[in-house]
Amino acid sequence: MTDMSPSERRLQKELMSLIKDPPPGVSVDAEQAEQNLLQWTIHMEGALGTLYEGEQFQLQFKFSNKYPFDSPEVTFVGSNIPIHPHVYSNGHICLSILTDDWSPALSVQSVCLSIVSMLSSCKDKQRPPDNTFYVKTCSKNPKKTKWWYHDDSV
Amino acid sequence: MLRFLTSFFGNLFQIMLHLLTSKKNIIQNLLSIYVKTIGGSTLCIDVDPKCKVSYIKKLVAPQLGLEPNEMKVIFAGKELGDDIVIEECDLGQQSILHVVKIKRSSDQKNNISSRGEKCFTTSTPNLKNGGLLPLCEILDDSMFSTGSESRTNSISVDASDMDNSSADIKETEISEDHRQRPKKVHFFVYCPTCKDMKNGKLRVRCHFCKSGAFTVHSDPQSWTHVLEPKQITGTCENVPEHCELLLQNKEPTFAEFYFKCSEHVSLGENDQAVPLDLIRPNLKQVPCLACLEAPEIMFTFPCQNDHIACLYCFKQYCMSKLTERQFWQHPEYGYTLICPNGCADSFIKEIHHFRLLDDVNYERYHRFATEEFVLQAGGILCPQPGCGMGILADPDCIRITCQSCKYVFCRNCRQGFHIGECDTVETPENGLLNGNCNNELSCDNESKGDDASRTTIKVITKPCPSCKTPTERDGGCMHMICTRSGCKFHWCWVCQMEWTRECMADHWF
Repeated sequence: MTDMSPSERRLQKELMSLIKDPPPGVSVDAEQAEQNLLQWTIHMEGALGTLYEGEQFQLQFKFSNKYPFDSPEVTFVGSNIPIHPHVYSNGHICLSILTDDWSPALSVQSVCLSIVSMLSSCKDKQRPPDNTFYVKTCSKNPKKTKWWYHDDSV
Repeated sequence: MLRFLTSFFGNLFQIMLHLLTSKKNIIQNLLSIYVKTIGGSTLCIDVDPKCKVSYIKKLVAPQLGLEPNEMKVIFAGKELGDDIVIEECDLGQQSILHVVKIKRSSDQKNNISSRGEKCFTTSTPNLKNGGLLPLCEILDDSMFSTGSESRTNSISVDASDMDNSSADIKETEISEDHRQRPKKVHFFVYCPTCKDMKNGKLRVRCHFCKSGAFTVHSDPQSWTHVLEPKQITGTCENVPEHCELLLQNKEPTFAEFYFKCSEHVSLGENDQAVPLDLIRPNLKQVPCLACLEAPEIMFTFPCQNDHIACLYCFKQYCMSKLTERQFWQHPEYGYTLICPNGCADSFIKEIHHFRLLDDVNYERYHRFATEEFVLQAGGILCPQPGCGMGILADPDCIRITCQSCKYVFCRNCRQGFHIGECDTVETPENGLLNGNCNNELSCDNESKGDDASRTTIKVITKPCPSCKTPTERDGGCMHMICTRSGCKFHWCWVCQMEWTRECMADHWF
């Protein structure tokens, strides 16, 4: 614990609290995260009573050594990318707290909760209108995209 | 009889001398302090830190032609009580005590009251009493360590109310454990002599005549009282008539607070340190907003939410913002930052806090701050590689000579000075290097090292339409947001104009 950098110490604490007290439907791959604190995989279940009920998703979190002053890079990975107006088929998520509105007061847990609530509030399962074009041209890192945040109500 | 008397006094003198010298032998760390009198003379005396204030009075009285009971010893805003032991007073080597003559007429009342209290608490000095210990020994940490000032006030008021009521009931018990309970106030300063963050000492002087012979009417209860002018009134003992005359009784005499470094021998009255008021002891064990651990010493962001960081994470925050050039040029405070959580009105007012950065990064901070200041003031930076001197020139002046490297260049295109039009129609501002000049007359070899980078910058960047900062697009969409703090302009990479809904519809990606 002593020879860890402050960002690793913070991540270690966040990991412990996420293992101990995860939000409903969220679980972290603890073994993988402990091996490399800078890259986590999080399993997420579609909430009951929503369009995503019964579905399983995987989120990948990548952290830099500037975390938490720098936001984590968060994408959906794996075989099931949720069909949602803010989620591109390559897994990129259009969510303001992941770039412009990030603050060190946020955490992996609060990001997970935001994504769960973003999915839960969806009324019509569809890809973003510009999906095909974006996926072809975008950078691998979603943080390089200057998002024009879609309407918050969907 | 006379012989007896003389021999008696002679013996006494010898005994005292012996006592003094033996004391000197036992205690190596004699304090060498200055005593300043109203007449303007300064006496240098060496005293044992264990001696009392009354001893100093006796020592100094004959030299001033006064009786010890005619004198007041003033230090750090307070008249020191006779029974105070010098080492309890936070005096350092070369500290200055002020001695004034008690004035019968005006000060009699004060004198009697302080005397009365002295009698009352001869064995256990009452720390709540104003007239006995210097200010820095009376104040406690809880007043100065909480986050927002509004909360500080309410807390300190509650605490003192509680203390007062309990003190009335159980005077003796309280005074015994008084020393342990409130933690003595802890100030941090940036010391220009040590060039580092150090522990600081609070000192008081007259706001008008700057004399240290000044006693406060009330104790400061918060940082506002200490940092803002004209918060606490007091009595200037220097030449009260002078200060009163100066003010023509329009307002009372105010105290001015300042700080000294407590880790080097005082170099005189002008040897001051800058208070780092946002660095405080973390008495309530608040966790750092970044690493979530509760540090002993914290950096308190001046925001409503009392966010704090440990000093390490504060430095990390500064360095990451510095690298991204995300500091703000505030018109009043200078090149500064806000709370990392983006809280409203949370600018760090005292930029000496950035002295916590190591030398290399502080130098960068300083350079960026200067550049930003020059650019905001409508100035230009010398385009010569390795120079970058900030130049504030007359707006009509096209031929600019750098005072530092003597390079003579054209204001419009930043190339060597030339006669005639520049190549490009666009007139670049703010250090943008995208012009080519018709430099028939200039000797181009001065800027040869710059040509390659100039070309590169020209090819791969586009200027922000608002502030003209050359901007590189390394992937992502066409929607650009200028990264320069204070600009943040939203623009379109294709149109090179403000970002619109049309851009989003036509060529977002």
